[in-house]
Amino acid sequence: MAAFEDDLLALLPRLRRFARALARDAADADDLCQVALEKALLGRASWQPGTRMDSWMYRIMRNSWIDTTRSRARAAQTFVDAEAGLGVGADGGAEARIALSEVDVALHTLPDEQREAVALVLIEGLAYKEAAEILDVPMGTLTSRLVRGRQALMAQLGEAA
Amino acid sequence: MSIDPEMLMAYADGELGPIEAKRVERAIAEDPALAEEVARHRALRTRLAGHFAPVAEEPVPDRLAAMLRPKVIELPVRKRAASIPTWTRWGAAVAASLVLGLAIGHGLQDEGMVRTEAGQLYAAGALADALDSQLAANQGAVRVAVTFRNAEGRYCRVFTARAADGIACHDPQGWLLRQTHAAGTAARTDYVQAGSADARVMAAAQEMMAGDPLDADAEAKARASGWR
Repeated sequence: MAAFEDDLLALLPRLRRFARALARDAADADDLCQVALEKALLGRASWQPGTRMDSWMYRIMRNSWIDTTRSRARAAQTFVDAEAGLGVGADGGAEARIALSEVDVALHTLPDEQREAVALVLIEGLAYKEAAEILDVPMGTLTSRLVRGRQALMAQLGEAA
Repeated sequence: MSIDPEMLMAYADGELGPIEAKRVERAIAEDPALAEEVARHRALRTRLAGHFAPVAEEPVPDRLAAMLRPKVIELPVRKRAASIPTWTRWGAAVAASLVLGLAIGHGLQDEGMVRTEAGQLYAAGALADALDSQLAANQGAVRVAVTFRNAEGRYCRVFTARAADGIACHDPQGWLLRQTHAAGTAARTDYVQAGSADARVMAAAQEMMAGDPLDADAEAKARASGWR
């Protein structure tokens, strides 16, 4: 039994890195890790020993992140509806982003579906096939998201990229 | 011959088979712009990987690592600060009961608080009543210090009575006694020693607990549903 937790613990540094690429900041990223770990512990019955735990966990984390952003989006929508009449429309995240590095900023201008593909392949170092399986999309979809995401990043990061 | 952007990217990532790779290499040889694009793809990978590499080198925050340590295998949610004040209250409840002079033991059995069923000890009488109906921190001859769920998902309650302290977990037959410690005569007259006695029950409860102790709302709900 303990082997399951030990394997998760060994994966944790990589999971945190993936979360950091998905979430807006370090605190959100660790919250995301916590949610994903909770799901993994509760859903351990769905883990098949002998298969790749990293892929299993990346998938759980990515799905958790989608759930989180969806509920955030709903909350934000409510906020805008309520406040629109008062003319509050500025992006509250703008100032916070000043502190982020150029790479973080560029990454977060990508649509989510491109960012997750970039994160899995370029940051986590997975093969296309593995990334496509985690994201549950055909290879062609993965490569087209990946190439668009990369071209956008190269354009933004310029020569330095 | 045209090389589409996906194929060029896949080449840069080493994702092509040998035949396709050869095709791309021939195209690159004829078009320096393609070679540049490959270099840009690789530089981007290096830059992103390098940017995020330190995250994987950071020490993992305790709150995450703690979720994976053996003691808390079953925990469904947060396991942190919340348990500390609860135990402080429990300690305080025990201390209060001692100050009130609840001491010196008849066994639980002598007081009609225990019955046996299928060779196991279950709470009976006033103890069963208290476990069924009292919320934590209520006054009474039997006090319930804390309620939690164990690894099997059953409700368990830490109680302190005149004769003994213990832990009982609810099952279809009633409140199964999992831990009891008789209230020692000498220990019960001494505040400090009594405190160390309840540490045994405390430690046992901590071992059995999955997740956090129930808060007042959760406890009231659990009572309303008959501790099932």
